[in-house]
Amino acid sequence: MAFKKSILAIAFAICMLAGCADSYRWSTSHPSYHKAPYGSIAVTGIEDAFVITRSSWFAKSLEISKDSIQIKGRLHCKNVFESELRKVYANLTVIPDSISRSSPEESLKLDERIFIKGHIPEQGISLKDSAGNVPPVVLILHEFIIGTDLKRENFFDYALIHNESGSIRKPDNVSAIFSYTLWDNLKQRPLFSAVDELQQPITTYKLNNLTNLIQLAVQKIQKNLYAGVTK
Amino acid sequence: MKKLLAIQLFLVLFLAICTQASDVYFDSRWTLWKDATILIWAPEGNNPVNTSDFCLSLRRNNTGIGEPKCRELGEWERDTIAQRYGTWLANNLEKGLPSAYLRARHPGMAAKIQAVEDNIVLYLNPQGKFIQVAIFDETAQEPKTAGIVKANNDKIALGDDIASTFFSKRTKRRLTKEERLKQQTEPDDLYKEVPNLRVWAGAGIGYSQAHFPLTPDNWTSSHTKSRVRNYRITKDSVSLWNFIEDDDAFLSLYAGLTWHGFIGIELMYRYSNRDMKIDKADTVYKELDHWNFGQHDIGLNVLLSMTYPITPWLDITPLAFLGFQYSFYNEDIELKDGVKKPSRAYQYRIQFEDAYKGALIGVGGQFVFKKHYGVDLRAGISSRGRDLYEAPTPDAGKAPTTIGKSTIDCFVSMGLEYHWTL
Repeated sequence: MAFKKSILAIAFAICMLAGCADSYRWSTSHPSYHKAPYGSIAVTGIEDAFVITRSSWFAKSLEISKDSIQIKGRLHCKNVFESELRKVYANLTVIPDSISRSSPEESLKLDERIFIKGHIPEQGISLKDSAGNVPPVVLILHEFIIGTDLKRENFFDYALIHNESGSIRKPDNVSAIFSYTLWDNLKQRPLFSAVDELQQPITTYKLNNLTNLIQLAVQKIQKNLYAGVTK
Repeated sequence: MKKLLAIQLFLVLFLAICTQASDVYFDSRWTLWKDATILIWAPEGNNPVNTSDFCLSLRRNNTGIGEPKCRELGEWERDTIAQRYGTWLANNLEKGLPSAYLRARHPGMAAKIQAVEDNIVLYLNPQGKFIQVAIFDETAQEPKTAGIVKANNDKIALGDDIASTFFSKRTKRRLTKEERLKQQTEPDDLYKEVPNLRVWAGAGIGYSQAHFPLTPDNWTSSHTKSRVRNYRITKDSVSLWNFIEDDDAFLSLYAGLTWHGFIGIELMYRYSNRDMKIDKADTVYKELDHWNFGQHDIGLNVLLSMTYPITPWLDITPLAFLGFQYSFYNEDIELKDGVKKPSRAYQYRIQFEDAYKGALIGVGGQFVFKKHYGVDLRAGISSRGRDLYEAPTPDAGKAPTTIGKSTIDCFVSMGLEYHWTL
């Protein structure tokens, strides 16, 4: 009898968990997004997007002085991101942030409770690179948060963003949470937008681990750009 | 040969589609005002129609439109923000794209659209062989309807084409300034507070049967096909449906109340008259004139419900109910005139229990018109069984089984009710 009861309790618990399991949609595609960029792309936002949280922990691990971790860390991340992207897209144009960040910050809806914020170019105005050319598609990196044991719903679900994080303990993972939009620069519309999360288990954390994290992020972005194509 | 014909047919169809003069991409319900003011917005500045001719086209194509006024929307054509949105719209207006993707994001543009008031903005943008058409009003920051018409150098023909494609709907009288103000502050018809207590009483008819629809016949046929021989003998006596008719109409009276719009209680009474299933072949019944039972059910239900106000004059309340009932059977038996002494079998005929206790479960809906007059539809399952639980004794095997220990049927009912709120 007790056995039967425990089975029932477990079944009930499973139902509860399944009912409450997260069913977020972390990406959205425009109905006219039919072809992922191939070979050539432009990118913007990479100067300002990177943010390192828990800077003292990172400063200690990466052996960079605490007051310059943001500047040096950002620059490192930007360089890795750019060079990694160049491996995938041979013809890469980098648009300075000063051009793309002039438009006001807006929010873009991915799911009922998931909104990403970013500087989305105005309707009717195409982004131009420093040479004055108009690239057809632009990857806009809105935010790239690097920290330890972070979860993307705590940053992008508006019902959870005011939650305080738990007590600081020895971290298990280095996390990267990044939001981005593939922008149709000719028709000025968002083709694909997503929030991604990466977790990297910590053994000893050095600069090449950070490099590796950014590389994984770029690969994930590229993969998702393909997966998001509307059939 | 057939293949050639098919190709020809395809070509003809293809041409027919290509030469189709106009195509509406989407149309959300927008209001076409009588005596409307149409503001023609050609962002590139090259207006493909003549404003006064277009007004005449409107009057020709829609007799209800009254005296429309048309003019070019110069203030938007000269404005940078509107011009950018206009160009953007020209690039993005595609067949199959929902209107939400065409929203004007710039706050300046959104403010401009909101300031349109009860005028209609007609966006016209020549694009090669076609002219893109979109219509804006103050209610949305995206086009209310959009599509294309075929370009035509004859401005009057083009105006007729646009008017017949986009402006042929019914018109509404335009409101005055005061009426608009009043409409803005008007209370919402569907706004309603949930009453603390809602009470109803009603009467209805229904139908019940032992066989459940959509289930195999052989599940219940042992009960439904049963016949009573010699006033008391059936194959099985576990269900009352072995003795009395299992499919019959019933009358019901009921009254109930709902507390805070979600939980309620209901008292009900049902009556039906059920004939005995006598075996006509049995000669013992020759003496019998009629034999039937009046079935009286008295029950109490607990209801869970939720009310949805659909229109100001109709509330729909889906509900689920669970309850118990007591059933009493009132025998009505008569011998034929002239039969002096009934048979021995008549005297030892079947006896039912004094009362049967059972449960009811089901779903339904109340449709309340004008807050008071309700129509109630229900469907469910009801049971009748032994009244009291008796602890099994060692003699239980010898004891006779209780007649009608497990009597189950299903029912549908329809009632008319009157509702009050307290």
